[in-house]
Amino acid sequence: MNNQVFYEDVVEGQELPPFEKRVTTVNILMYLSTVWLMDRIHFDHPFATQRRGLPNVVAPGNMAVDYYTQFLTEWAGEKGNLRKVSIQFRSFMLPGDTLTCRGKIIRKYIEEGKGCLELELSLKNPSAINCVPGKAVVELPMR
Amino acid sequence: MGESLLDKLGWKKYLGQETASYTGETILARDIRRYALAIDDLNPIYFDENAAKEGKYGGLTAPLSYVSWAIGVPGGEKSVKELGEDGLATFVGVPEFPNTWELGWVRGGEELEFFKPVYAGDKVTVTGNIVDMSEKDGKSGKMIFVTSLFTYKNQKGEILAKHRVTMIATPRKES
Repeated sequence: MNNQVFYEDVVEGQELPPFEKRVTTVNILMYLSTVWLMDRIHFDHPFATQRRGLPNVVAPGNMAVDYYTQFLTEWAGEKGNLRKVSIQFRSFMLPGDTLTCRGKIIRKYIEEGKGCLELELSLKNPSAINCVPGKAVVELPMR
Repeated sequence: MGESLLDKLGWKKYLGQETASYTGETILARDIRRYALAIDDLNPIYFDENAAKEGKYGGLTAPLSYVSWAIGVPGGEKSVKELGEDGLATFVGVPEFPNTWELGWVRGGEELEFFKPVYAGDKVTVTGNIVDMSEKDGKSGKMIFVTSLFTYKNQKGEILAKHRVTMIATPRKES
């Protein structure tokens, strides 16, 4: 387990260490089969490109929620909690892309005795396009 | 602003209306494992009962974000013949109002608030409500925003998560 980060250790304006995820067609196929999504833009290349004008098949947008969830639950550690994630869909995540999740602490506050952080999130593709900007609330243990 | 499209469609009366109530089937360790593999999150608490017992939640749980899939997609399991040409079975967050499909829908955004994880063996119930409806004049005409709030509970009635989904509707262009 990583060293636990505590509320007192972080400051507003601080950036979390970036977190990378690579999404492949195999990840997409696994995701579609397990949640049972048959939307052809996610797996049918001729349909996605010729019929929908997309550059390739595209990853389900919800995978961004999963990536942010892993990023923040790992950072918050065993004693921290991810309370909330919100996202906006701006651009597609494409297979083969390495996506970089970043988070910046924009506010620290104590709520009912718990140390909470408000974070601004970005998920950028290799062309530095923020495909799925977001926000989160993370709770950290206090010393 | 001009004439209100929401008024014209007569949708405002649906604000606050319950749109979904559905209980899924028992979540299997296999469902959790496959989901964790798909998102490449290899934390042993999603794969190994013993590691999970030692871990934060004391049992085999799914990644928090799994909750919005824990009941499947209601109405999503259709035969190939019944599916649309694009493979799309249903569109979560698009309400079943009159004239819904006279407009084109895109996903705006979503928010997930987590309270407890889903454990292997859980049966999850979702209820949905329309919580917000608004419209504005966009660059290419009217835009309607419809926000649904889905609440997920386990078989003990404990709230697992609240999920807000905002869909954006625009009048279809004549072609």
